[in-house]
Amino acid sequence: MQALLALTLANIRSYTRDRAAVFWTLAFPLVFIVLFGLIFQGSGGARLTFAWVDDDRSEAALQLKAAFDALEGVTLVDATRQGATDDMQVGKVDSIIVVPAGYGAALAASESGGGGPPTPIEVYTDPSRPQLQGSIYQAVGTVLGVVNLGGRPPLVVPNPQTVQTENLNAISYFVPSMLGLSIMQVGIFAAIPLVADREKLILKRLAATPLRRWQLVGSNVLMRVLIAFSQAVIIVAVGTLAFGVEVVGSLLLVAGFVTLGAMAFLALGYVIASFAKTEDAANGMTSMIQFPMMFLSGAFFQIDQMPQFLQVVARLIPLTYLADALRQVMVGGAAFAPLWVCAAVLLGWLVVCFGIAARKFQWQ
Amino acid sequence: MQIEGAVAADPVIRVRGLIKRYGDVVAVDGIDFDVAAGEVFGLLGPNGAGKTTTVEILEGLRTPDAGSVTVLGVDVADGAASLKPRIGVSLQTASMYPKLTVGEVIDLFRSFYRESRPTDELIDMLELGERRNAQTKDLSGGQRQRLAVALALVNDPELVFLDEPTTGLDPAARRALWDLIRGLKAAGRSVLLTTHYMEEAEILCDRLAIMDHGRILEMGTVDELISKRFKERAVRFDATDGIDDSQLAGLASVTSVKHDEDAILLYSSDVAATVGALLALTESHGLEPQNLGIRRATLEDVFLDLTGRALRD
Repeated sequence: MQALLALTLANIRSYTRDRAAVFWTLAFPLVFIVLFGLIFQGSGGARLTFAWVDDDRSEAALQLKAAFDALEGVTLVDATRQGATDDMQVGKVDSIIVVPAGYGAALAASESGGGGPPTPIEVYTDPSRPQLQGSIYQAVGTVLGVVNLGGRPPLVVPNPQTVQTENLNAISYFVPSMLGLSIMQVGIFAAIPLVADREKLILKRLAATPLRRWQLVGSNVLMRVLIAFSQAVIIVAVGTLAFGVEVVGSLLLVAGFVTLGAMAFLALGYVIASFAKTEDAANGMTSMIQFPMMFLSGAFFQIDQMPQFLQVVARLIPLTYLADALRQVMVGGAAFAPLWVCAAVLLGWLVVCFGIAARKFQWQ
Repeated sequence: MQIEGAVAADPVIRVRGLIKRYGDVVAVDGIDFDVAAGEVFGLLGPNGAGKTTTVEILEGLRTPDAGSVTVLGVDVADGAASLKPRIGVSLQTASMYPKLTVGEVIDLFRSFYRESRPTDELIDMLELGERRNAQTKDLSGGQRQRLAVALALVNDPELVFLDEPTTGLDPAARRALWDLIRGLKAAGRSVLLTTHYMEEAEILCDRLAIMDHGRILEMGTVDELISKRFKERAVRFDATDGIDDSQLAGLASVTSVKHDEDAILLYSSDVAATVGALLALTESHGLEPQNLGIRRATLEDVFLDLTGRALRD
């Protein structure tokens, strides 16, 4: 254990003293995020468009509609439930308000002093767009404040519903992608120091000590997972603080996928180190794997916009599933594959790569 | 303890019929030798003689194709893991994690062993104090070599393997390392070292084996190796074109004639007679022997006699 920790510390020191490695794994993704953030920040104005679904058709419902219509900067579009959801998913409307059947009657009953529970209206928002969600709730609050007239208990309350839109705003789409990308890099870039240590006969020298191989591999896993976590903290912090991207899902799940992703890509790094004889070869192979993976994973371009044959490739590569899982968990992005499938694919890559490396990796 | 005593009595290294091939190349071609406890044993030979391969098999880093190897009473084929805490290793290539400092690397290696010498002590022993906080990439070749030796001594091993430990050292550092190796011997440790420096082998080794092309050509103490071949002393001078070997061989008291690069060596049982005859011969050709000298036979002469070539890089 002592040896494992000492070696992990040695790895971390070597890494942090290598400015190029630190730049590519920590600073580079940030530069990317800031650039994209600045490019896309201008989009999205103060105007809100609501799809208005009236299932009640009572006088009270019409009054409510009029109250919304009267709000500054708000546009209402009449719609059916299904049409409204479709419109919201493709970004034609920002939110949907549904006045459920029986609204008028329930409201009348409450007003006549019957008490009873407040009458709900359904408000659909996309949780991955927290700024927009905030403005929507603000607008709804303003209208309901007038309707309720400060009545206690309130007569009408919003019943929040979520719709996951396909058009995540660009920065929300991009931040988890960038995290996935950074984790990929931190994993497969492990190949380069590994091959360098082998070339310099450091691995051979270690083999002449009582150090066990699992301790060597374990220290590598520990160090790379730690770096992946620092990346996650930095990227999420910048995304949240600078660009208002809010993490909607479980942080524990995010941590789980960060760990699983880092280990799967580290295993891939070991595979590269198994076939690359020199540090230069390792560098080349890492780039050769990194760039196609970057562009085919949906990290930059959405997969369904790619040509068919590239979509097939996209469905095979691990970064697709890591980025997709992180998007789903972090910003509630539309799923490419269910979370368990993402986890299973990453685990599959981990096991297969580890198996190949265990057979092929040369220590001397 | 009983086993402890047995190890002290038995050789610390026993090699029998060792063979190692790399594809078609036979690196080690059936060698046998023993190293006694407390001995400094040298493998002497040119690059490619099979010294490093032999040492790395003993260290458990390579598996032999044939033969048996026992180190500290343990069969290396099945007991390499139990040996590692007891041996110290300095590889021929002495690079280390480039971005770690000397002190950090020593501390790292200390963490691999249950018991280890204090870092300060090792740094003092190898005179690395001034470079303690330097990253290993900034060390000179000699400092790197000394760090490698320090790492070989971290666990205060019973048996130390030093593969070309003084290569790249300046004369002062080389002498300091020789003192250190003598100190190890004085402390009852055993040392196996490889070298291609004759002087080093003569000064340090209790016994040595001369290797070439994967075989041991001769083995014994320095005196045994020399006196077995040379009762005589050598007269050397720079080679000249005017005189051929048959003329030289015919000179008074000359037992053999050898060429060592640009020098001619006349092994002679009576140096005075040989020099006189040589001067007479050269004068009759209108020549004068350049850099004429007389010396006792050395390991260099032994190697030349065994292989027909000089041992130099």
